[in-house]
Amino acid sequence: MFRHTMLFLGHELGNLRRNPAWPILGIMQPVLYLLLFAPLLTSITPNGTLEEALVVFTPAALMMIALFGSMFAGFGMINETRNGVLERLAVSQAWRPAIILGRVAKDMIMLVLQSLVILGVAALMGLRIGLPAMGLMLLLMAVTGLFAANLSYGLALAVRDENGMSQIVQFFLLPLMLLSGLMLPMSVAPDWMQTAARFNPLYYAVEAGRAMFAGDYSDSTIPTAFGLFLVLGVLTLTWSVRSLRKLAG
Amino acid sequence: MIIEAHDLRKTFTARRGRGKTEEVEAVRGIDLSVGEGEIFACLGPNGAGKTTTVRMLATFTVPTSGTARVAGFDVVKEAAKVREKIGYVGQAGGIDDNAPGRESLVMAARIAGLSRAQALGRADELMAAFSLTEIADRPVKTLSGGQKRRFSLAIGLVNRPPLVFLDEPTTGLDPQNRANLWDEIRALRDQGTSVLLTTHYLDEADALCDRLVIVDHGRIVAEGTAAELKKEVAGDVVTLRLDDLAAARGLLDAEPYIKETQEEGGSLRAYLDDGEHNLPALLRALEAGGLAIRSISLDRATLDDVFLKHTGRSLRDAA
Repeated sequence: MFRHTMLFLGHELGNLRRNPAWPILGIMQPVLYLLLFAPLLTSITPNGTLEEALVVFTPAALMMIALFGSMFAGFGMINETRNGVLERLAVSQAWRPAIILGRVAKDMIMLVLQSLVILGVAALMGLRIGLPAMGLMLLLMAVTGLFAANLSYGLALAVRDENGMSQIVQFFLLPLMLLSGLMLPMSVAPDWMQTAARFNPLYYAVEAGRAMFAGDYSDSTIPTAFGLFLVLGVLTLTWSVRSLRKLAG
Repeated sequence: MIIEAHDLRKTFTARRGRGKTEEVEAVRGIDLSVGEGEIFACLGPNGAGKTTTVRMLATFTVPTSGTARVAGFDVVKEAAKVREKIGYVGQAGGIDDNAPGRESLVMAARIAGLSRAQALGRADELMAAFSLTEIADRPVKTLSGGQKRRFSLAIGLVNRPPLVFLDEPTTGLDPQNRANLWDEIRALRDQGTSVLLTTHYLDEADALCDRLVIVDHGRIVAEGTAAELKKEVAGDVVTLRLDDLAAARGLLDAEPYIKETQEEGGSLRAYLDDGEHNLPALLRALEAGGLAIRSISLDRATLDDVFLKHTGRSLRDAA
């Protein structure tokens, strides 16, 4: 089981190595946000410094790649429902969950590597965080990726159509993003929006990231975010593996 | 018997607009037995249920009812054991377009349980056998259709299966590549591998296969060797074009050497043995009946005539 997951992971990483342009393009958007949006936030931070703004905005920039990167991971798999790759794998000796898990593991690794680049840019701009905060943040990115990628593969296998899938993903992305306090913290939002945000798992991830960056490890959003994404990750994995089984009708 | 299937059926539920569903019976009771070391064909028009049948036997699709044993194991209850014993090459090919062929081949070998070194060795062996060594490290999307097909076949054989399923293996290939693939399939049989393939090409079923079934609308309409099936119809067929088809048909049915007549697409097909000798008698009979012939041809009966006999339509017209 583990061996098959590693085999699929190796194959996926091989494809990534042969064609590294896309993940590099994928981090351009959050880097631009860091450079051109984070400075605007200095007007709402207590002392108005860029470092304060970066503590607030860097976790959000990281969550952006989780959302706009991993949520689209499934697109590649739609093609594999048509070119016969999944069909062949389904009747091979492969352990079926490994087909999804190997790909998800690749997405998680990619996400962590992209996060390191973003953190590097933020550090150059003046963000100063300790190693524990950085380590925890990367771990949080990994579990977020676990959820987002599994969800994306599940959707891809259920919808099996690029146009439909992109509409569905876009439909959910915007409200998820706006109600997570990704751009501006939810603390500046009216009450009803704050209430609505509590039903958005991404809100906890963004808040947990901010708490960790501010050195506030006792914040309740940290265990909530980790727990939530682990549970959601397992649920979406089960869903996508089931969808894989239904491929044959 | 490497494949034994009894009364296999598959009904799909297709969505038709808002909340409406429609039951589609793709396969309606198929019995099959394929012997070891045989090349066995499922011949039929598109949509006859060939692919669904193969997918059920290859453990991809679960049958709605019926049973099948492949290489001694039940396809539903012992699917994992069946998968160790089969190779499967689907219609779409099933190769990762972006990766080099060698990569996909090694990967498939490792999934089948080989170590890295063994997998590399097995890949080299297969690539040599299918003349793929020189193009092994190019992304598959840059290869020609025939080269891709050979990679698909090599991947299907990676675990040295005693049985391979080939779903329309030569569709879309040019005649040269088709002939080469036939040779490769025959070579497989000569090494003791059993092959079940689907095709809608009459000549392929005729030339390549030891035995075949003709499938139409999810049912088997005829089974046997190509020679047996054709003999059942007649050795030869006379195709006639004339104005009064019905009168000509009545007239020829009365002739002792005519085995059967069929009307098809504005022409009359009369089946008979020893056509060269009986043709003059046939011409005399039509002349005596005062029927003017617009055209006439004498051919050997083909599997299409078998299909016509059993379904009332030509395989060329059946969609």
